[in-house]
Amino acid sequence: MSPQRPRRVLVTGATGLIGGRLCEVMALTGAFEPRPLVHSTGATWRIARFPLEFAMGDLRDGASVDRAMDGCDAVVHLARGGDAVMRRGLDNVLRAAVSHRVLRLVHISSVAVYGSEPPPDSVSEAAVTRSDLPYGNAKLEQEHRVLGYHRRHGLDVVILRPPNIYGPFASFTVGMVNALRSNGVAIVDGGRNPCNLVYVDNLVEAIFLALWRPEASGQVFHVTDPEPVSWERCITDHAALVGVDVPRVPAAALLRPPREHLLRDSLRALPGVLTDGEFWRPLMRLAMVKRGHTILSGWFGLLPERTQRAVRERLRRAASVRRNGSQERRFRADHPFIANQKRTVAHSSEKARRLLGYTAPVSYDEGMRLTAAWLRQAQLLPPQEPERQPVPAANPSGEIENPEAPMIVAVPPPDERKEQFLTEQYDQQ
Amino acid sequence: MQRLWRGANTQHGMPAALRGTQRWHRPCRAEHLDTQTEVVRLTITSDTPANVAGSATRYRTAAASGTLRIGIIGCGAIAEGAHLPAVLSSPLAELTAMSDLSASRLEYLRRRYRLGPIAFGDYREVVPRVDAVILALPNHLHAAVGVELLSRGIHVLCEKPLALTRQECERFCHAARSTSSVLAVGFVARFFPSTELTKQLVESQFLGELQSFSYEFGTPGGWSPLSGYNLARSTCGGGVLVVSGSHVLDQMLYLFGDADVISYADDSRGGIEANCRGSFVARVDGCPVQGRVVLSKTHQLPNRLRIKGEHGTLEVRGGQTRSVTYLPSRSTVRHELTAAALPPADAEPDHFQLQLHDFVNAIRTGAAPRVDGEQATRSVVLTERCYALATALEEPWCEATLERLAWAAPQPAPGAPAGSLAAGVSAS
Repeated sequence: MSPQRPRRVLVTGATGLIGGRLCEVMALTGAFEPRPLVHSTGATWRIARFPLEFAMGDLRDGASVDRAMDGCDAVVHLARGGDAVMRRGLDNVLRAAVSHRVLRLVHISSVAVYGSEPPPDSVSEAAVTRSDLPYGNAKLEQEHRVLGYHRRHGLDVVILRPPNIYGPFASFTVGMVNALRSNGVAIVDGGRNPCNLVYVDNLVEAIFLALWRPEASGQVFHVTDPEPVSWERCITDHAALVGVDVPRVPAAALLRPPREHLLRDSLRALPGVLTDGEFWRPLMRLAMVKRGHTILSGWFGLLPERTQRAVRERLRRAASVRRNGSQERRFRADHPFIANQKRTVAHSSEKARRLLGYTAPVSYDEGMRLTAAWLRQAQLLPPQEPERQPVPAANPSGEIENPEAPMIVAVPPPDERKEQFLTEQYDQQ
Repeated sequence: MQRLWRGANTQHGMPAALRGTQRWHRPCRAEHLDTQTEVVRLTITSDTPANVAGSATRYRTAAASGTLRIGIIGCGAIAEGAHLPAVLSSPLAELTAMSDLSASRLEYLRRRYRLGPIAFGDYREVVPRVDAVILALPNHLHAAVGVELLSRGIHVLCEKPLALTRQECERFCHAARSTSSVLAVGFVARFFPSTELTKQLVESQFLGELQSFSYEFGTPGGWSPLSGYNLARSTCGGGVLVVSGSHVLDQMLYLFGDADVISYADDSRGGIEANCRGSFVARVDGCPVQGRVVLSKTHQLPNRLRIKGEHGTLEVRGGQTRSVTYLPSRSTVRHELTAAALPPADAEPDHFQLQLHDFVNAIRTGAAPRVDGEQATRSVVLTERCYALATALEEPWCEATLERLAWAAPQPAPGAPAGSLAAGVSAS
């Protein structure tokens, strides 16, 4: 790598967890001048707290990436999204990096490139990568593209593979808290396997080093916390913050996701779809459908009442009622926080320590303390020192007796965000 | 004045030089009202600037359809999502011009709403084509453009906040007064039936003596202005306190009549704040009522106003536009209160259109708009007071590790300036 040291750094995905913290630390330490590439201004609040030079653009638009790259010495590519962002977006970034002769491109990948059951030798980066996960596949393909540009165009690149990232704003952290609150998590088989965590600030340290250390050029690094933390410890520590007990279950008791049968499952679901008013409502805007519906309804009305009733009952789905005491709570084997507990490998950041001087300065205990402080400010946890007067149960409004006292509010995220988080976890791991 | 709005008018009797420049003007004093030709001759008050139309006397006629000619200046997200639909579906207004710096944006809107050739790159080209405008430009342009429009006799419905500073607001209001033009401000929440109902309940002492109030509103991200003006204090005027808080402060002043800030903290580091907390005191019937405001653009908060009194608590949740929830003390019952005369939910009018019609009505009748410049100025003044008292929110997770991370950056070459950016981002 050139002996020049980068100063101005284009950060793609700057509004996400890593990008947000990276820009914060860059701005607060003055170590680099971040230029966040921003697609949606509404997602920019965290980093807009700093007087940064924002570049508005869309990764899928090569011209806007080119403009954003102008004058930058290095790039940290963190953006993720749909197929177009993962492929075309990355290509645009790589092309612009080459044409603007940036000193280095740091690409953030994931240990998901090893799949849902990483091979034992994936302790180090030398292991064969082969993912059975959509997200892992996308990341793997990205790694190949990045290394391809390194070989063909001489672009100076570094690839970092973090595992589960925890800390303020982390979807892992928020998801864990919400899953615990909704009793969706259990410790499986004692939770002995490694959780593979990295505190977000430790990852930022690795990115800083990867941006300029000559030894990093063309290399791939795991970036994990050196301290081994088991799933049991991770879950129980989060549970202590939330104030819940976590059940322990054997793997054999987990509820396996049903095997998918394309045709049979579709046929079974068909009556429900056809009798769903939501299905027909938009279709009824089509005059032909409306006319056909009217005719069919007329014919149906000519049938004897008993036949009509029989057809309706046939189409009606069986009521699903959970009977009291009929079944113990069973945990889904494919829930991300449960599925990941079967990963036996602890990915090591020894190479990063050796070549980059990576120190992971934030211990697990400190990371959890800082995370808890953030969770409280975000009202995802109640305040640490409750100063409220005891509130009579019959007074639902009592929590604002003292307007200065912090308000305790358990706010589960909207369903769609929860779903999105679960989807991401599926993809990542 | 109702005659002003009779349909099919003519330009008979109008001096030829003024034909084609027909505009509605807020009547100050009708010298002559010709009901046959529906041409109204009005006299502008004595403080009219000399540059207004060059004459103290003007002729105003209704547009051919009897509707008000409206222009939209600034065609970003709020214009597309709220103002354009409100104007286009209104029987009282006709969209006759719109302007935006972005030609592609104008073309997109023109196609989407099947508009005629009414789009202009320069807002000055809008002036001869309209009687009134909706000003939806970035915040820092409100005052400059708004004052110019008012001075040219155009009525202005300005998006909130009215302006960035008290001085700008005062200039804005002065321009409206001196030209007898209507200046309305787009605090659309004022048109929610729940706001009016809350005001009635507070004023009628439904809760008995008021004890406290609390605003907690927060969502991660959200509103995404297309121009990105919201990313800088210089163009937005502030962060969450301006973007979300201007509604809160306006409503607080409206409900309680008088309010001031006691303490305020936010997380700005030289940019705009994403989180803020403030303690306020309102004065209701001479008695102080303490309250607090917590706003966030990074966290999900309960999104509700709560007002506690000796009999119980009123709660208005975000999106609860039609009713107010009453939680009596010493009871587990929740009551949903609604106004007696409330249209059915499916017939509820668009609140932006209600705001537009209020604006049109003010122009028609000379009545004050629901939120005028003076009222909007109060919330800007309160915002300024908050920023003047601002301290830094505690964020241990943000700073505790910085020293241990800074070493990992390349050390500056000897003689090179180091950490220049960090020096400029100390907490506000």
